[in-house]
Amino acid sequence: MPTSPSSGISAVAAIQFANVSKSFGANSVLTGLDLSVAAGERLTLIGPSGSGKTTVLRLAMMLDRPTAGDIRLFGESIVKGPGGKPRRAREAARLRRRCGMVFQQFNLFPHMTVLQNLTLAPRTVLRLSAEESEQRALDHLRMVGLEDKRTAYPGQLSGGQQQRIAIARTLALRPDILLLDEITSSLDPELVGEVLEVVRRIAQETDITFLIVTHEMRFARQVSDRVAMFDSGRIIEEGSPELIFSEPRCERTKSFLRSVLDH
Amino acid sequence: MTWNWPYVAQIMPALLAGVWETFLVTVACAVIAIGGGLVLAVVSSLAGRPGRLAVRGVVELLRGVPILVVLYFGYYALPQLGVTLSAFFVGVLVLGVIYAAYCSEVYRGALLSIPAGTHDACAALGLSTVVTWRKVLIPLAVRRSVPALVNYVLVLYRQSAFLFAIGVPVLLARAQVAGDQSFRYLEPYTLTGVLYLTLNLPFVYLLHRHEARHAHIAV
Repeated sequence: MPTSPSSGISAVAAIQFANVSKSFGANSVLTGLDLSVAAGERLTLIGPSGSGKTTVLRLAMMLDRPTAGDIRLFGESIVKGPGGKPRRAREAARLRRRCGMVFQQFNLFPHMTVLQNLTLAPRTVLRLSAEESEQRALDHLRMVGLEDKRTAYPGQLSGGQQQRIAIARTLALRPDILLLDEITSSLDPELVGEVLEVVRRIAQETDITFLIVTHEMRFARQVSDRVAMFDSGRIIEEGSPELIFSEPRCERTKSFLRSVLDH
Repeated sequence: MTWNWPYVAQIMPALLAGVWETFLVTVACAVIAIGGGLVLAVVSSLAGRPGRLAVRGVVELLRGVPILVVLYFGYYALPQLGVTLSAFFVGVLVLGVIYAAYCSEVYRGALLSIPAGTHDACAALGLSTVVTWRKVLIPLAVRRSVPALVNYVLVLYRQSAFLFAIGVPVLLARAQVAGDQSFRYLEPYTLTGVLYLTLNLPFVYLLHRHEARHAHIAV
């Protein structure tokens, strides 16, 4: 799996943050972030809560706009259009289609059945026929082991099942990039394993680019090609999982890992 | 004065005709209130600040003026401006539009209560604004609003008695006419009260049924 430097232009970068800053009012969350994720790479962001990890995912998904800097998906800026003007909504939507995001709180649509949750976007965004979108949905439900829940409502499922459905819903759009935002943080401890197992399988069976935010260090170690330690809106250390988890250089990384692993 | 059963039998057809008229008024008003309220809430949410302020102004105006004043204005004042409408039409329009303002507040609250994560999910899936509203936000807001909306329909049903003031032959009007003709008011008004109360029950039943059917859908 290719790894890439945390700054500088990469021809094959699936995601590239160039000098990106993000503030909410007076609160600066990211400051001059340079980050590049190669196509097919699996990068995990670790770090304390409030360090800006989720903001990175939200910016890549265009749920928030950066205060400064540029973000590129497969070489195309999602911030600026031709001539440096802000991206038009339609263009942004086309670029965003290459990304899929799974959220901490699942965010399934509670009034729709599992199948309806999975077919809505393929039908209305990709304009697939009812049969095609249903077939695709069933394929992905099978992938997450929940084909038999197609007629259930999210409220009838466990947290782990809901999160697996949310993963299937995102995959049904066949994204090139999968953004996973603390997908096990809302789950009871005994439900975490089933969700992580699904992600491991997807990582093994596909060449999707992963950008993961997690507090599951063992999972991060197993699934990642590269791990970046975030603190106060910037990357303070990055490297292979072995390097970060076995021989961290920064004191901050060491203390963070100690506090997480001691729990 | 004693209860007079033959008199009850004599006035019952007129009262039942009043029940039918009340039912028609309530249904027509409810359609305007529930549909119009949704339109007001969606416009208010989608429009920029001027649009929101305009909707807010209309809502406050409609909620701030007594129903009778608006009814009299529609029925007696509008003809002097060259607009003559039937009493039924004025009554339904006035009650419907006033309650649309109330319902819009219910929908607005329901829309505000939809978690930000749902909006994020719609955006992350690339759903268009139309699909987001049509398939996700409006269905969720409507489901969350049902108990309050049913309550408003019940209030509407009772307030339809106001239409008597402009001559719509609703149940109360029929009772009044029956009483005035015979100078017996005990039976007409007692029966009117009982009929209003009895007709409440189907709505209450529908509300309970809705809650039972959707208990597993945590909206």
